[in-house]
Amino acid sequence: MYGDIGNKLVQHAKRTQSLAHLPPYQTEMVRAVTREVRDLDKDVAAILEPFAGSFNPSTEPATACALLVNHLCMRRNKRCLLAYHRVRSDKLEEMCWSGIDVLERQAQQQSNKAGGDGSALMGANGSSSSLSPEEEEYVRQYSDLLAAYKGQWTDIDLTGSLEPPKDLFIDVRVLKDAGEIQTEYGAITLTKNSQFYVRQGDVERLIAQGYLQRLS
Amino acid sequence: MDIVDILAEVDADSIPKETRDLQELTRAWVAERVAPELLPYPDSLIERVLERIRKQIELVEEQTGNMDPRTNFKLIIIQTELERFKFLVRSFLRARIKKIDAHPLHISNLHSLSPLLSTSEYQYLTQHQALLSQHYASSFLSQFPAGLQRLDDTTGGTSMIDKPDEDTAVFVRALRDVGVINVEGTDRSFEVKRGDVRVVRWSAVRRSVLAGDLELI
Repeated sequence: MYGDIGNKLVQHAKRTQSLAHLPPYQTEMVRAVTREVRDLDKDVAAILEPFAGSFNPSTEPATACALLVNHLCMRRNKRCLLAYHRVRSDKLEEMCWSGIDVLERQAQQQSNKAGGDGSALMGANGSSSSLSPEEEEYVRQYSDLLAAYKGQWTDIDLTGSLEPPKDLFIDVRVLKDAGEIQTEYGAITLTKNSQFYVRQGDVERLIAQGYLQRLS
Repeated sequence: MDIVDILAEVDADSIPKETRDLQELTRAWVAERVAPELLPYPDSLIERVLERIRKQIELVEEQTGNMDPRTNFKLIIIQTELERFKFLVRSFLRARIKKIDAHPLHISNLHSLSPLLSTSEYQYLTQHQALLSQHYASSFLSQFPAGLQRLDDTTGGTSMIDKPDEDTAVFVRALRDVGVINVEGTDRSFEVKRGDVRVVRWSAVRRSVLAGDLELI
């Protein structure tokens, strides 16, 4: 029925909003909705054809109504598609801001899957990515844009923590080996399970990346 | 002019410029986070603050080698202050970016009427918009009938240009006597005196806030 798939797509988007990760891109549904729009457009053209440009809605209310329904359906489908893509791109942007490398994670997931599922699914691997190729491209360009904007505020570090800073120094525990970092008080070697009292600004990045845990 | 006004004037002059900038920055930060729409970009204020942040960073870098406990202690205070300043600016800019991302077309229209964004913010907005429309186009929109490909369509009953809700309630405190404020669309009006705190529709107090008579809290 008209708009059914569009509705499904919106429900998908709604679900996506409350998920922590991004579910796979619904290529089939997006295609189906686009096809529906094109078919509706053809219908409209077919209905209008016999009138040869001189259609008068008040003399033909039934035809006018059919046209209106078709038009509204097309617009609605467009809105559904836009909403679906917007929710996903918002999510991707959020990941860019919080410093998660989306593309790398994708690649990791794919290789994990390839390892776990064995050779049976190897062939299907190309399509198991949860991003569409367009989205991957978008993420790449958006990270560039973000980096460019961020670059103008070198002293501020725009992607830094949005929690008001309380203490200059904090206790951290090392969760993963992170190698040696340079601070103004000398070099610290971060080995797993050790604890340090360090300047927050020096280790913020590492906390965000999951190498360190903040102890309160 | 009565005694309160005179006192207020003396107050404003005796506060050092740095403190006033901090006050202004804090005010701008709170306002930006509370107001439903994007407020004009405080160009000179941000520039002054950034300049000062840079100087402090230089100072810290210069003095780090010093092992004298007294300067060391002073450095810690300076660095704490520095972190707080950075946080204010960061949070302020992020709040703006969030609004810019939420209503890009609306804001870009407003910006062309009267400047609202900084140059880099405007760059960000246009480029982000270009990226998004390219993304939509390559994902599905390019296969649509030509009449339906626009992203800023206002026909058909629903405008595609999303606007912030200008009638949201905000908390304001009066910094000066403002006089009578009328709430548009209702027959409510009330007088605002210095120090009063009110909950009002944003649209009713927008002008006084921008003029600096009221502050958002």
